[in-house]
Amino acid sequence: MIETVSRKRIEILVDTPLVPRLIKHARDVDISGWSLIHVDAGGGRDGAWQHDDVTGAAAKTIILMIASEAKAAALVDAIAPLLDSYRLLLTVGDVQVVRGERF
Amino acid sequence: MIVETLTSPVILFFVLGVFAALIKSDLAIPEAFAKAMSIYLMAAIGLKGGIEVAESGFTPELAAAAVAGLGLSFLLPLLAFTLLTRIGKLGQIDAGAVAAHYGSVSVVTFVTAKEILTGQGLSPAGYMVAVLALMETPAIISGLLLARRGQPQRANAESSGLLHEVFANGSVVLLVGSFAIGLIAGKDGFEPVKPLFDTGFRGVLCLFLLDMGLIAARRLVQSKKLNARLVSLAIALPLINGTIGVAIGTFIGLDVASAAALGILAASASYIAVPAAMRMALPEADPGIYLSMSLGITFPFNIILGITLFSQLALMIG
Repeated sequence: MIETVSRKRIEILVDTPLVPRLIKHARDVDISGWSLIHVDAGGGRDGAWQHDDVTGAAAKTIILMIASEAKAAALVDAIAPLLDSYRLLLTVGDVQVVRGERF
Repeated sequence: MIVETLTSPVILFFVLGVFAALIKSDLAIPEAFAKAMSIYLMAAIGLKGGIEVAESGFTPELAAAAVAGLGLSFLLPLLAFTLLTRIGKLGQIDAGAVAAHYGSVSVVTFVTAKEILTGQGLSPAGYMVAVLALMETPAIISGLLLARRGQPQRANAESSGLLHEVFANGSVVLLVGSFAIGLIAGKDGFEPVKPLFDTGFRGVLCLFLLDMGLIAARRLVQSKKLNARLVSLAIALPLINGTIGVAIGTFIGLDVASAAALGILAASASYIAVPAAMRMALPEADPGIYLSMSLGITFPFNIILGITLFSQLALMIG
């Protein structure tokens, strides 16, 4: 059986214009891998929203990263002050990965 | 003229989009197609404006309209900010963000107005496309200054990101670029591509406004941030700004159609370039407020009533 190791899976739902800033925070704590996932629609305390390519006004993106516990904690510390002002949705979960040395 | 405008297919398709969204129809324009239509319309309007300026040359009216447009875009946010804080009871940051939207412009409102005015024999001068491009960004600077007044300066990296967003914004690049292409190519150069950019223009605009009707009405239905004060301001601001725009256009000697177009530009509110810039520069500002006001109320108001009102006003005082 292939050996797996524990890592943290970090997901951040963010308004698309703010993605570069969060990627910079990730790089600053030495997280070099990230993926962006397009989000179609959603809803929350402030009502529902729907992506449209024409205005891009309500565009949202999920940033997905896998990192070690230490790096994940450093990233959470870095972006915690922005959670309210940037209206972020941040989740961190445990995952098992193969080739753990890559994260 | 009012009946003509309200029964034009362009407006009726917009109303159909609004109606479909309000009855929660599953009508939808494929996103990639809608994006392609917006690129087509901006390229076409830029090209046509450039060709008209190539024909007429750089005139004193062009310079006067450009200065007026820049001045309006810089200064209209001041008035909006005052009303938004005093009557709308918004905080400094939200008011600054909303004010920036009302100083900037809506390309779709302008394209629709130009089409309707031209159909009624009131064709705005080609240089108004250049004025449109000039009015996109100064309001962002004014809005940010108002929102950040008395607060610490932001980091340089954030400022450079914002400048890039403002000046490299796709709609600004396409509009200015196609205007320059039209200016260089001239009427003769346009002939080979005319069937694409001229013949189908009105039909594409109809379908695009159908989509915009859906988007605007859905934004309004989904919004939980608006109250009676903000709804009233989203209608009052275009009325005030548009009246100022028409008056200035007439005062500086623009023809009636161009004065009406300047009024419509002043009355319109951005919902493409400015929201992205505000999200970057003022992440604390609530997008639910500025998007709902500009896209959910002011945009439909201008399309359905504003264009007619400001063209009538230009005819009366022109």
